[in-house]
Amino acid sequence: MDRIYFNNCLTSKPAPEVVKITTEYMKNRYYFPENFNAMGTATSKNLVKAKKIIADSMGADSKEIHFTSGGTAANNLAIKGYLTANSHKGTHIICSVIDYPDILTNAAFFESSGFDVTYLQADNEGFIDLKQLKESIREDTILFMTTLGNHTVGTIQPLKEIREILDSAVQKITMHIDACEAYARIPLNVNELGIDLMSISAHKIHGPQGIGALYQRNGIKLGLVQHGVNRMDNLQTGGLNIASIAGFAKAVELAFDDLDANITKIRELSDYLLSKIESTIPNTLLNGPRGVKRAPHNINISFDYIEGEAIMMMMDMFGVSISTGSACASQGLKPNYVLMALGRNHEQSHSSMKFTFSRYNTIKEIDYTVEKLAEVVKELRSRSPLCN
Amino acid sequence: MQYSQKVLDHFMKPHNVGKLEHPDAEATEGSPACGDQISITLNIDPETKVIKDVKFQSYGCASNIATGSIITDMAMGKTIEEAKNITWKGAADELDGLPPVKMHCSVLAVDTLKKAIKKYEIEHGYAKAEKFSKQTIVEELKKVIYPGVGEDIVTLKMVKYVGFEDGIATIDVEIPKFDKYRDNIAEEIEEHLEAFDEIKEVKVTI
Repeated sequence: MDRIYFNNCLTSKPAPEVVKITTEYMKNRYYFPENFNAMGTATSKNLVKAKKIIADSMGADSKEIHFTSGGTAANNLAIKGYLTANSHKGTHIICSVIDYPDILTNAAFFESSGFDVTYLQADNEGFIDLKQLKESIREDTILFMTTLGNHTVGTIQPLKEIREILDSAVQKITMHIDACEAYARIPLNVNELGIDLMSISAHKIHGPQGIGALYQRNGIKLGLVQHGVNRMDNLQTGGLNIASIAGFAKAVELAFDDLDANITKIRELSDYLLSKIESTIPNTLLNGPRGVKRAPHNINISFDYIEGEAIMMMMDMFGVSISTGSACASQGLKPNYVLMALGRNHEQSHSSMKFTFSRYNTIKEIDYTVEKLAEVVKELRSRSPLCN
Repeated sequence: MQYSQKVLDHFMKPHNVGKLEHPDAEATEGSPACGDQISITLNIDPETKVIKDVKFQSYGCASNIATGSIITDMAMGKTIEEAKNITWKGAADELDGLPPVKMHCSVLAVDTLKKAIKKYEIEHGYAKAEKFSKQTIVEELKKVIYPGVGEDIVTLKMVKYVGFEDGIATIDVEIPKFDKYRDNIAEEIEEHLEAFDEIKEVKVTI
């Protein structure tokens, strides 16, 4: 059996169609759209088409889409761009303690530059405290930001309710959503949900790495975060990643060709894995919500008495890629901050394993994975002083 | 740096796993909250002081298990005097090296073995419990590894001041402001020093 890959929220395998079109662009259609010759005009048209494909997937207008070098670049353009251009309206921003690092590090940066930040708490399933949100809004609040489809536990925040709360303020509060996890995994319409800024990333949906996009609602003003030569619009300075943009558009086309069927398939896979683990392996604990309030591709589960890096390494030896919230596998040797904020203890965080699925995964892969996982858990528990 | 093949071998098929039924010496170090814990049990020949049997149990990552396996291999058949000479660097070398960020696993495993031997020596009158002093704190800080390079914080001269008065241990450590291991180092120091009955409070300034 080929390697089994359940780390699709880290990055996903580029679709064959994406590889094909990206290669074709690199070989033959690499030209920049900056003049009226045949190649420039063709590129120009293709860029407009790519923007339209992405805009249509979220109910936006093509002019509201800006390409970036990825999700983090889109988040930075949104947050830094918005706050630098709108600080005269207020200097209070709101996010939550369980947001993606892009949001939290930007919030900390602006906090050190004189902004006030309210960090909302989350309940034990990862839903942010809406009562606290309501109480946190001030006259000078200008930006609310959060992660949709939490990167650790998959929680889908109730954006409609959040929008209503934000709209109860006298002033306009802009809503920025990091949707890199949720995009193409749940239906998302920026108008229905009242989203003003939204980041998406190609490599999480079988597109190329190094390309993303920011949705910017018409009328929302953003400052420049990078100055330089302008080849497309004011916010996008520097060279254009023409081949990756084409690949991104193709990935979006493929994902949205039958979005409902894709979502159903991925949810079936994750439901199957969860029920199989819960029925075969004792002493486990699901982290995050069950059912439709959870992004369909995410299962995060803790295994009592053992440590996650050991589970990850042993599963890797069996050809299965999964990730862990254990401190031993983290950059700063710290337990997963999302799980800790959800009230899990250190042991539960250290023993947490995250499986993230794509449409390329199969039931057969899950059968093999759970069979091996049961062996691994049994073996590691037999070595553990905590259950002997 | 990745795990060596030897680490992976000892992780997948560790030697000497388990718990001796009637141990002559035992020790448990680390904690589940910190993500790694090792328990070691020893059978020691009372005449020759040779370690006749040794077993370990591990709650921890791949390198935690591998270091438990290697140090029990290294200790097996040695006299307790010889086993006391096992160092965490020596154990890591036996495994063909460990990634710097995992060096603390070797420290934990070797420390647990030495604690078990020390307890045995004290119980049997071969050694006396050491008098607690500022030097005890310094020696303990030598077990705190800076994960960036896999060396202890005393050797790296990151410890700028050690004080001990009225049960309060005061430690000043120099680590750059944006170093990703800052919190980890502070927690490690507290974890190590809070284990001493003589220390009522640990104050770490970074």
